[in-house]
Amino acid sequence: MKTKLFISLMVLALLLAACGGGTKPAADQPAGQPAGDSAPAQPAGEKVTLRVWTHQNSSFNAGYEALAAEYMKQNPNVNIVFETFDYDTYIQTLQTALPAKTEADILQMFGSWVCSYAEGGNLAEMPASVASLEEVKGKLLDAPLGGYICDGKLYGIPQEFNIEYGAVLFNTRIADEVGATNYKDGWATWDEAIEDLQKMAVVQDGVMTRAGLHFTGSDGIATMFHSLYLQYGGQYLKDSTYTVNTPEGLKTLELMKRLVDVGLVDPLLFNDEENWVGDSYFAETSAAGLIGPWAIPEYSGDFADVAAVTIYQPLPSVGDTPVFAAASGWGLTVSANSKVQQAAWDFVKFVTLDSANALQWNLASGTLPALKDNIKGENAQKLVSEFPYFEPFLGFLEYGQYEGQFPDRDFVWYEVVYPEVLNYLQGNATAEETLATIENAVQGSFK
Amino acid sequence: MALSTWPGWQRLFSGRDSAKKRFVALAIIPLLLFMVFWTVFPLLWGSALAFFDYSPRRMGGFLGFGGDNPFVGLQNFQKMLYSSPDAPLEVQQFHTGVKTTLLFVTLVVPLNLLVTLPLAFMIESVNKRVKGIFRTLFFLPVLAPSVGVAIMWGYVFHPQRGLLNAILGGVTGKLVAINWTGDPSLVVAGIPVALFAVIVAYLWQDLGYNMVIFIAALQGIPQTIKDAALIDGANSWQLLTRIVIPLLMPTILLTAILTMISAFQVFDIVQVMTDGGPQGQTQVLLLHIYNYAFRYQKMGWAAAVSIVMFLMILSISLLQNRLLNTELEY
Repeated sequence: MKTKLFISLMVLALLLAACGGGTKPAADQPAGQPAGDSAPAQPAGEKVTLRVWTHQNSSFNAGYEALAAEYMKQNPNVNIVFETFDYDTYIQTLQTALPAKTEADILQMFGSWVCSYAEGGNLAEMPASVASLEEVKGKLLDAPLGGYICDGKLYGIPQEFNIEYGAVLFNTRIADEVGATNYKDGWATWDEAIEDLQKMAVVQDGVMTRAGLHFTGSDGIATMFHSLYLQYGGQYLKDSTYTVNTPEGLKTLELMKRLVDVGLVDPLLFNDEENWVGDSYFAETSAAGLIGPWAIPEYSGDFADVAAVTIYQPLPSVGDTPVFAAASGWGLTVSANSKVQQAAWDFVKFVTLDSANALQWNLASGTLPALKDNIKGENAQKLVSEFPYFEPFLGFLEYGQYEGQFPDRDFVWYEVVYPEVLNYLQGNATAEETLATIENAVQGSFK
Repeated sequence: MALSTWPGWQRLFSGRDSAKKRFVALAIIPLLLFMVFWTVFPLLWGSALAFFDYSPRRMGGFLGFGGDNPFVGLQNFQKMLYSSPDAPLEVQQFHTGVKTTLLFVTLVVPLNLLVTLPLAFMIESVNKRVKGIFRTLFFLPVLAPSVGVAIMWGYVFHPQRGLLNAILGGVTGKLVAINWTGDPSLVVAGIPVALFAVIVAYLWQDLGYNMVIFIAALQGIPQTIKDAALIDGANSWQLLTRIVIPLLMPTILLTAILTMISAFQVFDIVQVMTDGGPQGQTQVLLLHIYNYAFRYQKMGWAAAVSIVMFLMILSISLLQNRLLNTELEY
């Protein structure tokens, strides 16, 4: 009898253990209504718990927590709980939790991920009751917002403008030491830029020990390639057709190769695998580096002396306007499985569309704003006084164009464009071969 | 029919040893459940994925299958057979991965045996007092984490800060910046230098493992057989080639298979040292599987490649077993 009881208890315990692995339910309130034009509504005043997932970035999360505290003060019935993951774990957690429907109510997403999750039915469309698409388009810059619009529907709101092109980290001390002066009045043409950057490069025994301009990292190459293509008047992505094997593509590669040939960078020694651009710039093995403004807060603690002589120097445009491709930015979305969508969207709106709150988050996180209101006037001044290196960017953010909706943007950037263009710059393929390979491979990813 | 009335169940817990049987069942059930949950189920699920165009980003039906992750039958496997230049990138990379992995395995297995077997002989022949020190020294890298080993060797091969170039620079009196792991034009006898660099790091870490197995096998050869050979007039070379090596054949077979399987599964060293570059020259199959499963979320494709990789290892193991199979008793 005792043995039977013991066996029964063991089996019961194992079954309970097997079934109990899920995450805690999201809220302390009844199930919500189905998604539609309006989000599931909660009875007014009812206790609501909002779970928010973000990736681990202390300055980003400090910004979120401050806003959440303010929101909870204004809405005492709402309790906001943050769960954070390191970047790689976050990506994998999203991939496994969304199909299993165990994700949080609000999910921090990078713009270029949004549509792939939205197309899978994992993200809730933003209800018109929160803000219409037209209203949001009027408030936000095109490039960051582009990532959150899928088939004409809005699936979240960006909070920052992720920029990797348009200006470069530039070491003024090295420039002054070698007598490079064109930068002081701004580079009107690539010839002026090359003249400065050539002087700043150092070659010893035929080996480049300091690059004049390190643009040969993966993000640098991919973003520069697509931005120059746009500046030359091309349109690389139209109705899911990717075209770069064109005269504009040739001009783009020729300009990039020219920068190598005149000795600004040795792509064999300066790339993602060796001398990564951020490390290289702050170790002063590169005098200028193509990388977004997020690099300064990342490195300024350890390399204060280099940061002190660093400015962001705008790059010249080969077109009429300094149009450039940009990869949207971090923002907030709401899970389609959330039972508290209305409360979730209300918090998202509070954080992202209120210009004072959005600015507060940009100031806390050290990011460029996605809201048009915050790139001009008093708000812009506040940003620049806190982050002086933002100034050159604020002048041309409006020219940013969303890089486009690819089935898998990272695949295009890191598996196709970067290795193929780097191979070309290293002298292992012709421009025509490179463009044909890129076009076929990227187009193949749409099938 | 209730479980308690099932005849098999009753037989299992009746008879003379029923208490013992119940204890055995009780001990096995948790392990069985653990295995079913963590091994059998993932294995079956992973195998099933290969027949779907599955991405975890898309919403599917039960276990993610169906819906936006449709059943595609053998399509993933058929794609692997495309050989035209305009084949999708994943197919071209798969072909590269197969070639690179086979090349890696072909080089690593004999090189490993060529180094570890003589090393084991030498360590076995030294004074007992220092034998332990050598054994420990050569085994230590096995205990080091692969990522640490890869980072260390990455520094050795670094074009500007690397030890190897510093030595060459010291010898030539000039600054040397050869990019051993990043220059696709560096090829020796048709083999990329970057792959050699990875192999050096891999061998350095892996040597001690086979060496310990060989030492144990050498110690297992009865002294009487060696003495008999010596009495019959065999010299040291003959003792080695006619007696010791033939008696070690089962161990050589075992280490060859184990090394081959582990070489097929090389991943972390490659990912950290080269990430498959330059130009895919070190893109091994497991890295390809990882990239497509977890970076690009094409899990259906990655699962299909995993099955192919499993079949490759299985067939080569069987072939090796057939070719090198020896039955020895002593």
